[in-house]
Amino acid sequence: MALHRRLGRLKLITIASMVLAVLVAGCDAPQTTFDPSSDATDKIHTLYILVIVVSGLIGTAVLIALAYLLYRFRARPGVPAKQIHGNNTLEIIWTILPILALVMVGVPTVFAIAGAQRAPSEDALHINVIGHQWWFEVEYPGLGPDGESLMTANEIHVPIGREVAIHLTSNDVIHSFWVPRLIGKTDMVPNHPNDLEVFTPKEIGVFYGQCAEFCGSAHAMMRFRVIVEPTAKFENWVEALQTAPEPSDEGTFIASGQDVFMGNCSSCHKIYGTAAQGIIGPDLTRFGSRLTLGAGILDNTSENAEAWIRNVRDLKPIPEGILGSGRPAMPTFNEVLSDAEIAAVSAYIRSQTVE
Amino acid sequence: MVSIALPKRPVSPTGVWGWITTVDHKRIGVLYGVSALVFFVLAGIEALVMRMQLAEADSDLISTDAYNALFTMHGTTMIFMVIMPLGAAFFNFLIPLMIGARDVAFPRLNAFSYWLFIFGAILMNISFFNSSAPDAGWFAYAPLTSNAFSGSSGVDYWILGLQVLGIGTLSAGFNFVITILNLRAPGMTLMRMPIFAWMTLIISFLIIFAFPVITVAITLLLFDRFFGTNFYSTAAGADPLLWQHLFWVFGHPEVYILILPAMGIISDILPTFTRKPLFGYTTIVLAGAVIAFLGFGVWAHHMFTVGLGGWAISAFAVSTMGIAVPTGVKIFNWLATLYGGSITFKTPMLFTIGFISMFLLGGLSGVMHAIVPVDTQQSDTYFIVAHFHYVLFGGSVFGLTAGLYYWFPKITGRMMSETLGKVHFWLMLIGFNLTFFPMHFLGVLGMPRRIYTYSGDQGWEGINQLVSAGSFVVALAVLIMLLNILRSMRAGQPAGQNPWGAPTLEWSIPSPPPHYNFAVVPTVRSLYPLWNEDGETVNPPDLPYVDESSIHMPSPSYWPLVVAAAITIAAGALLIWQWHSWTGYLVISLSGFLGIYSIYRWVFEPITATESIEAGVHH
Repeated sequence: MALHRRLGRLKLITIASMVLAVLVAGCDAPQTTFDPSSDATDKIHTLYILVIVVSGLIGTAVLIALAYLLYRFRARPGVPAKQIHGNNTLEIIWTILPILALVMVGVPTVFAIAGAQRAPSEDALHINVIGHQWWFEVEYPGLGPDGESLMTANEIHVPIGREVAIHLTSNDVIHSFWVPRLIGKTDMVPNHPNDLEVFTPKEIGVFYGQCAEFCGSAHAMMRFRVIVEPTAKFENWVEALQTAPEPSDEGTFIASGQDVFMGNCSSCHKIYGTAAQGIIGPDLTRFGSRLTLGAGILDNTSENAEAWIRNVRDLKPIPEGILGSGRPAMPTFNEVLSDAEIAAVSAYIRSQTVE
Repeated sequence: MVSIALPKRPVSPTGVWGWITTVDHKRIGVLYGVSALVFFVLAGIEALVMRMQLAEADSDLISTDAYNALFTMHGTTMIFMVIMPLGAAFFNFLIPLMIGARDVAFPRLNAFSYWLFIFGAILMNISFFNSSAPDAGWFAYAPLTSNAFSGSSGVDYWILGLQVLGIGTLSAGFNFVITILNLRAPGMTLMRMPIFAWMTLIISFLIIFAFPVITVAITLLLFDRFFGTNFYSTAAGADPLLWQHLFWVFGHPEVYILILPAMGIISDILPTFTRKPLFGYTTIVLAGAVIAFLGFGVWAHHMFTVGLGGWAISAFAVSTMGIAVPTGVKIFNWLATLYGGSITFKTPMLFTIGFISMFLLGGLSGVMHAIVPVDTQQSDTYFIVAHFHYVLFGGSVFGLTAGLYYWFPKITGRMMSETLGKVHFWLMLIGFNLTFFPMHFLGVLGMPRRIYTYSGDQGWEGINQLVSAGSFVVALAVLIMLLNILRSMRAGQPAGQNPWGAPTLEWSIPSPPPHYNFAVVPTVRSLYPLWNEDGETVNPPDLPYVDESSIHMPSPSYWPLVVAAAITIAAGALLIWQWHSWTGYLVISLSGFLGIYSIYRWVFEPITATESIEAGVHH
């Protein structure tokens, strides 16, 4: 009977924490940790719920005991306090009980840590992500033309159902790679390469990621996306990024944008298959199919792209001049290029899409 | 000897000069307390500005640079200039009274500690007026703190201020270990000391072992920034994790330096308001020592996501969980103290109950972080911000506030208002939970820490508004506390010797205590010398009349202040050196000379001024 009642209470608290979980998941927050979409975050979520239930039970029990004791032993006239100094048996019991509770969560923790160290399987997709102040450089070794690396930035495409092994490092300060619905965070440390836990995405969609280690003035605006797509679509994307863009027709608006781009942007940015081979800023190959710009902070519209080129500092707090890494920051072009030229550059880079 | 017209050594100065030259542990305690409250208000204002900025998505109320400076200085200020000195205020004022001593072992060193603390704190905050406040976080991770990535002098101010303040803290650590081990009254065995005295002894050891580590870490950074060395320079091949290891080997024991005084305070308050002895005194002492000891073996739990490898992570996960055992034992013993008691709910007791319940929640979320896979979703998010505010605000600040209400009558001779105290408590409890509980949800929803803005589509705006509203309720509660302090200092009910009917030694002497504390050094026969075996308060025995003037006390001295000033100026001179090297050399040389000269004068200064007069007469 007592056991039954206790189980009932356990169930109640489990239900309560599930209601909480639903409430939290119900908020429309694309970066939630409570809506796992990979095998790795699934496991984390199970542990998360276990530890919330265990600590919720303990917390509730202790708070109820506290409230009861305060009420039961409030000062009443004629009732003196019992002069109790201690009780060894009780103290031993409540030293051992927490140890048992900790074993309950500690054993699965150690197993989960061991599991997270597993080596990637043979057919895993390997990706290198390099942190920069304040964007993510993405490299797919061997997927580029002639077995070279395929390069992109701030948006990582992966096929559904295939294991992904991401290798992390940084070009300047410490950043942290985190896609809450797909994988827990691991820091991107200069001179200290880290392997992210391997994971297999199990849901198609666009997943929000964000730098989680304070990295200077634009830390809040160092975001990215992971795009999980069907294998065919992923292969098509890889194919497109390996293909030089169609040359634009002489005299068109886009062709004029290409000229301005090659004259002003190509020493820092690369577009595969063109004369633009700069490697200082993000790779802009097939930029037209990106969802966002500025490291996941703005929708990729021509208005935003033009504003970005005109004065990046209106949109993101990037210092001027040379950054700590020795690389120049994105310059401001409002005094260098006319509005028409800026519009043409935007039209040019946005015209190159993945069909 | 060159004759310089120096100010005469004061004998029994009054007014400001009296405070400046004081070596009395009680006055130094008050100085620590008042300074800490000023910085508490400052850090609170910094927090409110941050909360105003975050109340709205895509807000541009303040710039990212301002926000980064605010969170850096809020953390640094709360830790080094509020909670630590508030603890110091209590242990300065109380330890000699609790152990039956007339002062600390080294009264002038004690004054020196205070002056270094306040000068270091001021040095760091001057940076705001130089429009280059530190903005690399209180954790100051390399390589963001290098000249390449933090070009302004903000990090320099942070290094120098912390270094100066740290020397003061270290001196205090040694002073209190020696005081507690050597100056106890007859019969005051270690196991008859109040828990607060025990916790002070433990944190003094923590300071002695932990502060040298941060001193070294910061000195290396100082050399990197000022003299071009490459300890943390990743461009020259350094592994930036060196800084993190050094920082957290200090940083985690530091957490216990912040919480153990509060645990001591509430362990001494509980018997008074339950009218019964603390349940399991020995266990609570041991648990405190075990927490402190384990505290040196858990630092890497701040680094679970930096890539330490499975074995290291597992070991630190298990050791971190281990901390929960002695902590849990303390909580159960506090609860058991309530059992069978006759509980009255005065303000100190309310804050004690607040401490136990809020600290419990912070402890439970702390255990969650030890579950490493879960921590990879929580670290560097608002879940962490929620967790450590439950521990440091709900824990340390609530505990220290309990101490303020409890010992204010002893310090000032007047009671604080109970009505305002209860309003303060309830507003604080509500405001605190309104501010910090929803932060758990922000963390779960993926909001990282230390971001000055977020976009509307991330779904965090509503909860942030709730949090910001809560922070203003906390601010109101703090205002009521300040009002209560100011009002009660002038118009509070006279307290008398032992207004709470408390059992420990500090309540056996008048409030405020005379400058010599005990006319006759007491002989102690039990843990609770002012209680009989039934927990009833007894009057201390009538003591023989003692002529006050026959009590030997050290005279005031201004040399500790001058030495502290010389050290601070020498540190600040590095900033001058950066701007103009020869001016820097000049200031460093002058302050060095001043420092050495004042140390010489300090060392050869007789203990009491009368002795120096007599010495002059005899020669």
